[in-house]
Amino acid sequence: MVATVVVISGESDLLDVRSALRTAAERAGLRLTATTKLVTAGSELARNILRYATGGQGTVTIEECTTRAGRGVRAVFVDQGPGIADLDEVMRDGFSSGGSLGIGLPGSRRLVDEFTIDSMPGRGTTVVISQWDR
Amino acid sequence: MAVGDEPAHFRQMIDSIVDYEVIRLDEKGVISSWHPGAQLLTQYTAEEAIGKPVTLFYTEEDIVEGKADAELRAAAETGRYGTEGWRVRKDGSQFWASVVLTPIREPGGTVTGFVKVTADLTEQREQTLALRAGQQMLDGIADYEVIRLDSDGVVRSWNPGAVKLTGYVADEVVGRHVSMFYTEEDKRGAMAEREMASAARDGSLEVEGWRIRKDGTRFWANVVLSPILDDQGEVTGFVKVARDLTERREQEQLVQRQRDEILELSTPVIQVWDKVLILPLIGTLDSVRAARLTESLLERIAADQAEVVILDVSGVPAIDSGVARHLLKTVEAARLMGTASILSGIRPEIAQSMVHLGIELGGLRSCTSLKDALQLALRLVRAGADAADLAGRHA
Amino acid sequence: MPDVVPIMRMGPDLLVTLQGDLDDRAVEQIEQEVTDQVARTSARAVLVDVSGLAVLDSFVARVLARLVSMVRLLGADATLVGISPAVAITLVELGVSLRHVNTALNAEQGMGRLRRLREGDASRWAGHDDRG
Repeated sequence: MVATVVVISGESDLLDVRSALRTAAERAGLRLTATTKLVTAGSELARNILRYATGGQGTVTIEECTTRAGRGVRAVFVDQGPGIADLDEVMRDGFSSGGSLGIGLPGSRRLVDEFTIDSMPGRGTTVVISQWDR
Repeated sequence: MAVGDEPAHFRQMIDSIVDYEVIRLDEKGVISSWHPGAQLLTQYTAEEAIGKPVTLFYTEEDIVEGKADAELRAAAETGRYGTEGWRVRKDGSQFWASVVLTPIREPGGTVTGFVKVTADLTEQREQTLALRAGQQMLDGIADYEVIRLDSDGVVRSWNPGAVKLTGYVADEVVGRHVSMFYTEEDKRGAMAEREMASAARDGSLEVEGWRIRKDGTRFWANVVLSPILDDQGEVTGFVKVARDLTERREQEQLVQRQRDEILELSTPVIQVWDKVLILPLIGTLDSVRAARLTESLLERIAADQAEVVILDVSGVPAIDSGVARHLLKTVEAARLMGTASILSGIRPEIAQSMVHLGIELGGLRSCTSLKDALQLALRLVRAGADAADLAGRHA
Repeated sequence: MPDVVPIMRMGPDLLVTLQGDLDDRAVEQIEQEVTDQVARTSARAVLVDVSGLAVLDSFVARVLARLVSMVRLLGADATLVGISPAVAITLVELGVSLRHVNTALNAEQGMGRLRRLREGDASRWAGHDDRG
C-alpha cells in the first residue's frame, strides 16, 4: 500500500533499510518480536546485496499491506547481481559463498512469515519477505 | 420534386448510403423505391419490398393499432414526422428504429408520397439503457460506497451508499479531493496519492484503514480501488468501492483478545521464588501456542529478571521433534538473555521416543520430578556462579 | 555513529554500552576501541550491555563474538548483558547461538557473576575447555 523505496549502495544505507522496516512494522501494528525479526531479516538481506550484487547495489521496496488475513509489511529486495545458480544450496544452513557465517538467506527465511526467492545466473536476485501482525 | 424519375446522380447518392434506409413510399404508404442500405437493414431485396405496404416492417401490435397510417397522416399534416420504435426484419428479428417521414408534394400541395429515413439505433438504445441501469444500480446500493474519482483523486460521482457511510451528500463532496475522508496522519502521509499510484500500477488495490465521517467520527473501511483506463491504457480515473467494517474489526479483535487470553491461561508462568520461574506445559503444543509460549516466557524472564526457569513437561502427552525443537529454541533464547533452564517431568516413554526421534537435549539439565528441579534451581540461584556456569555453557 | 565509544571504567572492569542503531563501521570501531582499552588498562573483565541496541543481526553478533574471543586472549573475561526477549528469539531463529559467549540479564548480575568467578575456586574452572 504505502511504498517506500530505499536504494542500497553503501553500508550506511543499511540504517535506512532498518529504519524504514521498523517504521512500516510499527504502522502495521506488528508485535515487538515480529518487528525485530523483520528488521533483522531485512538487515541480513540488504547486507547480502552489498556483499554479492554487482557494485553492491540494489533496492528495497517496503510496503504496508492489509488483507482479510490482517495487516503486515512486505519488503522486496532486488539486485542486478550475478544471481544464484543453485537456490536449494544457498537456502541450506551453513552454505556461504562469501566467507560469512552463511546464515543470511536460510536465517532470514526463518525470521519472517513469508519468504520467496527468485534468481537466475546473470539476471540478479529478487527476495520478497512478509511479516503479519499475527 | 417529381416522383418516379429522379435524376441518376440522386439515385447513386441514395444507393451509396448504407447506414440508413432511405426509401420512398407512395401516398398510401406502399413502398416505391429500394436501395442497398434498406436491404442491409431489413434483409428484404428490392423485388420483395417494392409494391408492399410499409407495414411490412411493423410489429403485429403496431399493425393492429394502425400505427403506420397514423404516422403517414401526421407526416402529411405537419410536414415532418419522427418516431422511434421496434421494427421487424425479414427473419422476424426486431431492431430499434429511428424513423423520419417527410411528405413529397406536387406543386399544388397534394401529397404524392413520402421519403422515409430509418436508422438502426438498437445498440445506442442498449447503451443508454445500460447506463441508466448502471446508475440505478449504483443508486440502489445503500451499503457500499461506489464512487468515481478522476485521475487526480477528485470525487466525480457519489451514491446513496456513500451518503450513508460518510454522512456527506453529493453537493458537499463532488469536486473535492478524496483525501477529505482520511485521517490527519494519512493526509500528511499523502496516503490517498500513494493508494492511487499503487492501484494504477497493480491494476487494483484493496486496503483497510480508518476514514473520517462528516461528523468527525471514524470508521474502519475496507476499500477496493480500481483504475479506469482509456483505449490507450492511460488511467483516466478510479472506481472506489468502500464499506464499513468497524463492527467486523471489533468482533475480530474481541475474538483475538479471547484467543490471547486462552493462550495466556494455557501457558501460565509461575514465580516460585525470587528469580525462579516455572512454566508448566499442559496439553498438546501446536506451533502457534509454542511460539506464543516462548514469547510470554521470555517476557516474564525480562520482567522478573529471573535467573532460572523450569520447563515442566509432565503435563504434555507427547513430545514430537517439532515440540522438542521448540523447547530447545526457548532454552537457547533464555540462555542468551542470561537465564538457565531446567527441563522437568520427562516420563520414561517420552524419553524413549525422544531418543528414537534422535532429539538431543544438548547440555540442558533435566530432572524427572519437579521437586528435584526445584532443588536444583534453588542451588543454582544460591550459588550464583553456578547459574553463570549453566547459562554460559550448555550445549 | 558515536564520536566517543561509550566505555566506562568500573574498578578493574569495563562497561561498554551499545545504543541505538549502529552502522557497521561504528560496531567495528567499538570492537577496536574496547580491545585497545583492555590491553592498555589491563582490565579484568568487560561487560557489553546491548539492551539499548535496536538490532542485533548476524554481523553485529559476529563482531561481538569476535570481541569476546579477543578479550579472553588478552586475559580478561567478557559477558554480554541485556539481550531482550525479542532479540534473543531473533538470534535463535537466525541461527546465531553465541554458544561460547557468557550472558547475563543485566549489568548488575553480570558484574556479580564476574566477581564470583574471580573470588571463587579457580580450580573449579580449570577443567573447562570452552573459555576462549
